[in-house]
Amino acid sequence: MALPLSYSLRSLFARRLRTSLTVSVIALVVIAVSLILSLASSLRRTLVSSGDPRNLIVMRKGSDNDGNSQLTLQSLQDIRFFDGIARTPAGDPRLSPELVIQPFFTPKSGGRENVLVRGVEPVALSVHDGVKIAEGRMFVPSSGEAVVGRGVAGRYVGAQLGDALEFGRQRWKVVGILESGGSSFESEVWVDARELANDAKRVMPFSSFRLRVADGADMEALARRIGDDPRHALEAKLETDYYAEQAEATTQIYVLVVFVALFAGLGAMLGATNTLYAAVQARVSEIGTLRALGFSRGAILTSFLVESLITAALGFALGGAIAIALAAAISAALGGISWQAETFSTNVIQLRVGPSDLVAAFALSLAIGVLGGYFPARRAAKLRPIEALRKA
Amino acid sequence: MLKYAPLVWKNLGRNKLRSAITGVAIAFAVAMVCVLRMLPAALDSMLDRMSTGTRISVHNQAGLTYSLPYSYVNKVRAMPGVVDVASYQWFGGVVDEDKGVQFPNFAVDADHVRVVFEDWKIEPQALDDFEKYRDAALVGTMTMQQQGWKVGDLITLKSTILPVEAQLRIVGTIERGPFVWLSREYLEQAMLAQGFSFDTTGTIWARIDDASLVTPLIARIDETFRNSEAETASETEKAFFSNMMSSAQGYVTILLIVAGVVTLCIVFIAANTASMSVRERMGELAIMKALGFRWRTLFATLVVEAALLSTLAGAAGVLLSIGATNALRSITAGAGGAGPMNAFFVSNAVLVQTLFIAFFIGIVSGAFPAFGASRKPVAQTLREVF
Repeated sequence: MALPLSYSLRSLFARRLRTSLTVSVIALVVIAVSLILSLASSLRRTLVSSGDPRNLIVMRKGSDNDGNSQLTLQSLQDIRFFDGIARTPAGDPRLSPELVIQPFFTPKSGGRENVLVRGVEPVALSVHDGVKIAEGRMFVPSSGEAVVGRGVAGRYVGAQLGDALEFGRQRWKVVGILESGGSSFESEVWVDARELANDAKRVMPFSSFRLRVADGADMEALARRIGDDPRHALEAKLETDYYAEQAEATTQIYVLVVFVALFAGLGAMLGATNTLYAAVQARVSEIGTLRALGFSRGAILTSFLVESLITAALGFALGGAIAIALAAAISAALGGISWQAETFSTNVIQLRVGPSDLVAAFALSLAIGVLGGYFPARRAAKLRPIEALRKA
Repeated sequence: MLKYAPLVWKNLGRNKLRSAITGVAIAFAVAMVCVLRMLPAALDSMLDRMSTGTRISVHNQAGLTYSLPYSYVNKVRAMPGVVDVASYQWFGGVVDEDKGVQFPNFAVDADHVRVVFEDWKIEPQALDDFEKYRDAALVGTMTMQQQGWKVGDLITLKSTILPVEAQLRIVGTIERGPFVWLSREYLEQAMLAQGFSFDTTGTIWARIDDASLVTPLIARIDETFRNSEAETASETEKAFFSNMMSSAQGYVTILLIVAGVVTLCIVFIAANTASMSVRERMGELAIMKALGFRWRTLFATLVVEAALLSTLAGAAGVLLSIGATNALRSITAGAGGAGPMNAFFVSNAVLVQTLFIAFFIGIVSGAFPAFGASRKPVAQTLREVF
């Protein structure tokens, strides 16, 4: 027969101070691990959601990001009318030539950061159809106007709607706020491609072409045709692959996650072990009585393990809740976490503890509960009833 | 006071399992805190190692991807107080187009880097060859290893930003990280062959020996080019690199918060153990008091016990962190990129601070339960226990 759950619960409640200390230790480990995990997952979410599975990105062969790629006007004219590129209702190819420059911006907190400024033509919105002008309007070409991403507007000086934003060699009027469901376009500023090329004195007018593949057309074949074109050293890849590659920068964070989980997790597990050992020691006579009453070794073992698991679950619940609030608070206080990936430009990330982070933290706390509870529970189960009673 | 030392030691060894478990738990948490706190320190020491306060960077005030006219180089060189000046142009060369840019490579003024980067201690012979041969390249030791190159090798760097494919010969090494230099003259000629005249540069590095001239010269350079086609922003090398890393600030903030959380974790683990030990010894503490030991003596032995345990564990944790940072460095070195983790080095300041924190935590965690126990009236304790 198994011991009732209420026995475990009451035992925990009987030593409130130590239970709450153990719960706190586990909660703190959950907070630490979730925060670091959320750093990686938030960055990954931001980058991965930027790619559209129906889009191709064309860059100069050898470039791993559009910040260090340069393309000629000739190459645009040569590939613009390739078969398989979708068309707008007016019949123009849905191909967006884009120029990427990273001028200095001043964060509200001081210092300076390289922000990605994307020079585009009106066709851009038909290729990146996840991008919306949430407030204000799109810029008018050749008029010194800019639309800024939601993340940029919150983080940098002079980037609010209606402000005069200084970057490059001139001042730009902010006429719109751009949103894209949290993807990395919200960390960018969009202006007229020709104006930007002038401002940056670029000989080669473009960095990359983004294009929408027509429904039913073979994406791979189109990418190969662009890459094999002997006139230009171009490379076309799926936009989703491109952003997934950018997100590989997060692997370094995961190394850190493993370290924290391992070290702090081990600390918490041992803390739980200690508490439970003390509990077993204090309840020797009680355990002896239970055994004498006919409860099996298995029932005792289970009961102690359940005690440990409840502690771990409480720790997870407390820690998870605090981590979610803390991540949001940090993110709000800093105006987003900035991340300068190898692309050289800054991504403004809204830190959020996501479901996958919580699942990982939950798995860790379960492991802490089981491993921390097993040895004391086994010691309790192994007590011989006669000796246990005599000792008391 | 020292006569109580055996008592403290015996008490610590009374429940060996618990002391060991607590010790290991604290050691791991301390190691974690050490590793996390070392990151900002690592960034700082990296800045100190890679930069000087007397070399200044002149670049376009709009950003590093904006260029400066090459004529600025001579204008800056002519200013009194400037020892020498070298232009520095990002080349963005790749060895293998499928792998992208694997190491930073720049076109530099071959006949000026000797003086401007004198502190880099490049072999004079290598510099002679670099000046003499237009196709010479100097390669950082890290890149030499990564690519399996040696001096004398012929390499091809295909620029991703300029229409140039450079055929170069390695004439020497740079004992600093990954940098690869080729001669600016080579780049200019190659551009000319393509029909472009190349007359801009990304950055200009100027060496100034008199530290008191650094600030006035920075102001003077920026003043000279104000209202021109390309306004400049000048700063010391150290400021230049620390600005480049300023966007790692959010990341560092999170890590420091996590370090704080784990520190709190240690407090709770230690306090838990102390409270268990004290609780189990209530009876004997009461007897000792009844025998005439003063409460502050008992209080002190309990606190010292907790402090001793957590300091010993802290020392073990610090040693563990040294091993961990070494492991972390070697793991991330393979992952590529110039991430901050490659600059992880154990800093003595962090070690000492962390040890002190461990000691302090021991005192605090021992003090609360010990205080409660030693203030309790003897009669009441004895009645409760027996």
